[in-house]
Amino acid sequence: MWYVARRLPGHDAVRGDAIEVRIADTSVRAFPDESIAAAAIASGTRVLARSLKYHRPRTFFCFEGHCSGCLVRLSGVPNLRACQAACTAGAEVVGQNAFPSAEVDLLGAVDFLFSRGMDHHTLMTGSSVLNKLANKVVRQLSGLGKLPARAATELPDVAQRTVDVCVIGGGPAGLAAAATTARAGRSTILIDDQLRPGGSLRTDPRTGRSAAEASWAQATAAGVEVLARSTAIGYFPEDDGGVLAVAAPERLYRIHAASWIWATGGYPVNLPFPDNDRPGVLAARAVGRLLVDHGILGGDKICIVEVPEMAPDATALASALYDAGAEVVRIALGNATGTRGRSWVSALDTATGKVECDLVAVAAIPAPASEGARQQGCRVVLDPAAGGFRVVVDEHGRATTPGVWACGDVTGYLGPAAAADDGARVGKNVVSST
Amino acid sequence: MVAGKIVLCRCEDVTLADLEHSVSRGYRDIEEVKRYTGFGTGPCQGKECMAAVATQLATLTQQPAEAIPPFTSRPPLAPTPLRLLARDPAGHRFPDDLDDATESEAKK
Repeated sequence: MWYVARRLPGHDAVRGDAIEVRIADTSVRAFPDESIAAAAIASGTRVLARSLKYHRPRTFFCFEGHCSGCLVRLSGVPNLRACQAACTAGAEVVGQNAFPSAEVDLLGAVDFLFSRGMDHHTLMTGSSVLNKLANKVVRQLSGLGKLPARAATELPDVAQRTVDVCVIGGGPAGLAAAATTARAGRSTILIDDQLRPGGSLRTDPRTGRSAAEASWAQATAAGVEVLARSTAIGYFPEDDGGVLAVAAPERLYRIHAASWIWATGGYPVNLPFPDNDRPGVLAARAVGRLLVDHGILGGDKICIVEVPEMAPDATALASALYDAGAEVVRIALGNATGTRGRSWVSALDTATGKVECDLVAVAAIPAPASEGARQQGCRVVLDPAAGGFRVVVDEHGRATTPGVWACGDVTGYLGPAAAADDGARVGKNVVSST
Repeated sequence: MVAGKIVLCRCEDVTLADLEHSVSRGYRDIEEVKRYTGFGTGPCQGKECMAAVATQLATLTQQPAEAIPPFTSRPPLAPTPLRLLARDPAGHRFPDDLDDATESEAKK
């Protein structure tokens, strides 16, 4: 098998005992503490699936469960995010949405046939016979994944929680805010959707895995009930006076709170340059996460495509990658004119020529994860310098809906250290005003 | 892969050219663009693409960024296994006889 990413020596002690999982019919070495996606990239997996319309190759991008790149069929269950599924011994992973396989997909011809794009509103609408036929074919091809192998047999119970403070997001801001309110005697619950809480602390070489573990431990020691691997899936204002629904691995929680703190951070996003969706183009934060949280070096020759606002972050990442043994080239977004490669990137085209590489890391401003706060009626505003739709807060961290607060990157990109300070500050304000 | 596509929404394969085409057809509001191009309707529900599309839309339609609202946020905010919702008491708001009706349907 052809390898790009490799495990760095010296990390095995924190990884635990190796287990085996099967990815696309090949047995690979993995660790119980890491995601299927991390094990897959470390063992040479490149393409996992094909895109819906043009059947372009799709694979890992964000490594934090917020894109659709790594949807796989895992032990008979379709459409699971490989980056949010923990490795368990004997797990069976297969790609989706491609024939005969994700690497060699005959339907990729669609991409060539419609090289200038396809307006599906006017496609095959000239003749009614052709249109009927086209509809039949398209309905066969569309959709994601196939039904699960078995029906769910156990229907889990629903748990209720009524608390003083509910913090959504267990990154630097959320962990600091929750620890602060819990220390002041407020009953506090924290919801985090990742395999292990810590958020952007786990992606930034200036903080890293140990900082994440320490913040998590501090929140727990302060008395915070931490729901890990749990996602706030919606706020229902009409239900029982207002309920936040949280999907945990084995049950649904209905949460009532006097105060809500949104600390959902930002999503790693891509930047607009030609063929920015080629496998091997990863979010810079994902490359950072692989390095500092998993001890996996994503490539040997890495191009960082960046915007000026992210220069400090890109500098920190570049120097950590260099220290780990990679060659790093930094390219401004305006100079990136394309990518090359077959099933993995092999070069970045720039205004001044081709730069060979085996990984492209995209350093874009993370997009504030404000959709949950929006469901609570909080005002957001599109602010490109803040990365997207940031939650509007006053100087105390209050959002526009009474009882709702926000801190950290969801209010505009701050970075891990400043986000932690912001979380502690807003936590204090919540305590003094309730 | 054919060279040159600038992909804004990877779930639904929506490119910058698609967005420009949409604006040229007169679909300039973010909800209209969503319905016309399908951006933001895939598994990630706009997490990766909405900020990028909205920012490009502001430029293409020569509007200030603050004038572009987000599209409506609806639950579930992330892919959720249906079995988790099966016993949610909110479901009990449906008429009590719904279960009975389904059962007697099944007996026939």
